[in-house]
Amino acid sequence: MTAALDGLVVVDNTREFFSSLGVAMLADFGADVIRIDSGVSLSPGYHHELANRNKRSVSLDLDSNVGRQAVRDLAAKADVFVTDAALKTLAERGLDYATVSAGKPDLIYARASGFGPKGPDNDLPPLDELAAARTGMMPILPQPGQPPVYPQIGGMYTAVMLAFGVTTALHHREEIGEGQEVDVSLLAGNMYGASLDLQAYLAIGGERFLHPVSRMDAGNPMSGTLYITSDGLWATLTMPDTDRWWPDLSEIVGLDVDDPRFNSHELRCEVNRLELIDELAKAFDREPADHWRAIFTERQMSADIIERYDFPVQDKQAYDNRYILEAANGDSKTLGFPIFMTDTPAQMHRPAPASGEHTSEVLGGIGYSADQIAKAGS
Amino acid sequence: MAKALDGVRVIDLTVWFQGPVAGQHLADFGAEVIHVERPNVGDFGRGVRSIKALPIGDWNQYFLVINRNKKSMAIDLKTSAGQEIMHKLVAESDVFLSNLSPDNLASWRLTYDELKAINPRLVYAMSTGYGPHGTIDKPSFDMTVQALTGLMSRIGEPGQPPIYLGMGSGDAIGGLMAAYGILLALHNRRRTGKGQYIDASLYGAQLFLAAPSLQAYLATGDDRFAQQRPRKSPEHPLWNVYETSDGWVFLCVRNEDASWSTLCESFGDRALPADARFDTPENRVQDAEALVEALDGILKQRTTADWMERWRPLGIVASPVNNLRDLENDPQAWENDYIVETHCEEVQRDVNVRGLPVTLSKTPGTVETLGPELGQHTEQIMVDTLGYTWEQIGELKEQGAIP
Repeated sequence: MTAALDGLVVVDNTREFFSSLGVAMLADFGADVIRIDSGVSLSPGYHHELANRNKRSVSLDLDSNVGRQAVRDLAAKADVFVTDAALKTLAERGLDYATVSAGKPDLIYARASGFGPKGPDNDLPPLDELAAARTGMMPILPQPGQPPVYPQIGGMYTAVMLAFGVTTALHHREEIGEGQEVDVSLLAGNMYGASLDLQAYLAIGGERFLHPVSRMDAGNPMSGTLYITSDGLWATLTMPDTDRWWPDLSEIVGLDVDDPRFNSHELRCEVNRLELIDELAKAFDREPADHWRAIFTERQMSADIIERYDFPVQDKQAYDNRYILEAANGDSKTLGFPIFMTDTPAQMHRPAPASGEHTSEVLGGIGYSADQIAKAGS
Repeated sequence: MAKALDGVRVIDLTVWFQGPVAGQHLADFGAEVIHVERPNVGDFGRGVRSIKALPIGDWNQYFLVINRNKKSMAIDLKTSAGQEIMHKLVAESDVFLSNLSPDNLASWRLTYDELKAINPRLVYAMSTGYGPHGTIDKPSFDMTVQALTGLMSRIGEPGQPPIYLGMGSGDAIGGLMAAYGILLALHNRRRTGKGQYIDASLYGAQLFLAAPSLQAYLATGDDRFAQQRPRKSPEHPLWNVYETSDGWVFLCVRNEDASWSTLCESFGDRALPADARFDTPENRVQDAEALVEALDGILKQRTTADWMERWRPLGIVASPVNNLRDLENDPQAWENDYIVETHCEEVQRDVNVRGLPVTLSKTPGTVETLGPELGQHTEQIMVDTLGYTWEQIGELKEQGAIP
């Protein structure tokens, strides 16, 4: 079967999980990704298995001129070069955009950075913790009085942005023949993930976006709220259009649909908002999660029980859609492919390579002699 | 200036957030994205009136930002004449993007098979809730799907309620994933001349969002990766959040002896480096709770700015835990166009909007216009792109196909 990125050659000089994963999203769709391992890459283990699957590995000593030259030689035969190194390190090693793209103006040179290509902090390390801390969401995720929460998701937005940025630049190259630099940063990824809170703050402002809001003070009692059930699991509702859902919801929680306190959207979401939250909290706490799950399903309600990771791992839906895969050895599992395509689906061509597994094969492929290969390898 | 996606035409038949934001990524880079909406009320996102119990204000930033750089066409797809217009548009387009229910699309004669017959080059992109296969068939919203992944139960302090990752956090990854899938299909079409069906579901994208801990859980089955972890008992205490006298900091110091002694140096504390409980990397992990307690006591003595000033020259990696107001004032966000100022027609003034997270050096994205008025471009597209005459347009209005 063909793949969408068949024939695309990518040199992957990334070290971090999120950036390597972004490159894996190209490899999953058929790009020939040559990973440069230089002794300090992602260590073997489950993150490596996910972030470096479908890649080949070349081990090079980037402290030596021969090793650095080999990276440039590989890039000269490639379509895309990806790195997450510091700008000053790249310049020192002759792996900056100007040097690597010299003589190859159609190269797409992508950098997964911590804080973007410009600004005073453009060379801070690409650590999601730093970027998440800067983004402004950590203080408002928890309930009031709790420590700030690190959500550990910014890198995942950034990974997809990397794949999207590279393929967008590729589209332009196919039309015009011109390469360029692409930058995606963890700060941008975290900010993008905070889309609506951030945008609402920019537009409306106000203290309510700066401090945690109690779940008992939610904006809409029927949307984005959390209610504990009698066995300790939590239910959540997303019913922004409360007029549509009130007849069903009021019935299942034992409130009168015509209850004069709640019989309009304005009464539910403004005048008697806190009172309704209180009523719903009491009602959900009367029955266990299974009871509510069954009712939500039966009535096709926009609500669900908040699960733990043991749910997706047993969820047939996740396997039917290849979001989770059984590993080759059968007893462990791995994340699969979030994008479905009829004609060119993502495929598992090969497991993550051992460091340097393909050094001879890859360098031989660009005309290196055995002697040159020995000198460049680490 | 040239744009990366010049010449790509996208039919964006989407509502709320996940679908529209996918189209926004393409529109930012120059694709002609046509947001097709119901006459009279349009996309549900136009009706958002409050956020976090606060009035949305004099401009609807919810709708206008994710539909920026787009055109709007109002068509009544319940009428067969409206469906004919849509089919003509399909013949002239590269991408069809939707997050409406397959049942709706079928009733409007907009299934993949029907559209492929009209335009075999069409990329047909769905943003479903739970994926194209399997048996789940229920409404999907950002948070109800986030609930299923397990991530909400994983973060925050033990005993605390699950944590929602922020409004639109799940839709945002779903939309981005769809935009990437569309680029893949367009790239493939260059070689084959054929479009295809793609789907980037909210469930698949949000499972991916959980990757750092979910992958660990999937691979090992170890329940620790599914559980909330107390701040006071971290994996290792030098990589943790701490309260200062006026806020919080995120300390990201590797558990190595050299870093530890540098950190102690910044404390000006002579007792700590000599404390046998913490004198090796193993001991610092072993006695994590005691070390957190010690660090809590020290870090509370100074302000965040004070600590940052001490740490910077020593190369100690840390960040203040900022809030959204700090972010709005962060030069890093502005210099990289992650926040941009743009003109808002609705209120006739400049406003600040979420900017361009992906930076392309030669064909950068731009924010040219905020979201269009409902049906603003209906007639223009019908005349310029689809070749309708004014007489035909008049008839279609009488038939109720367009407003």
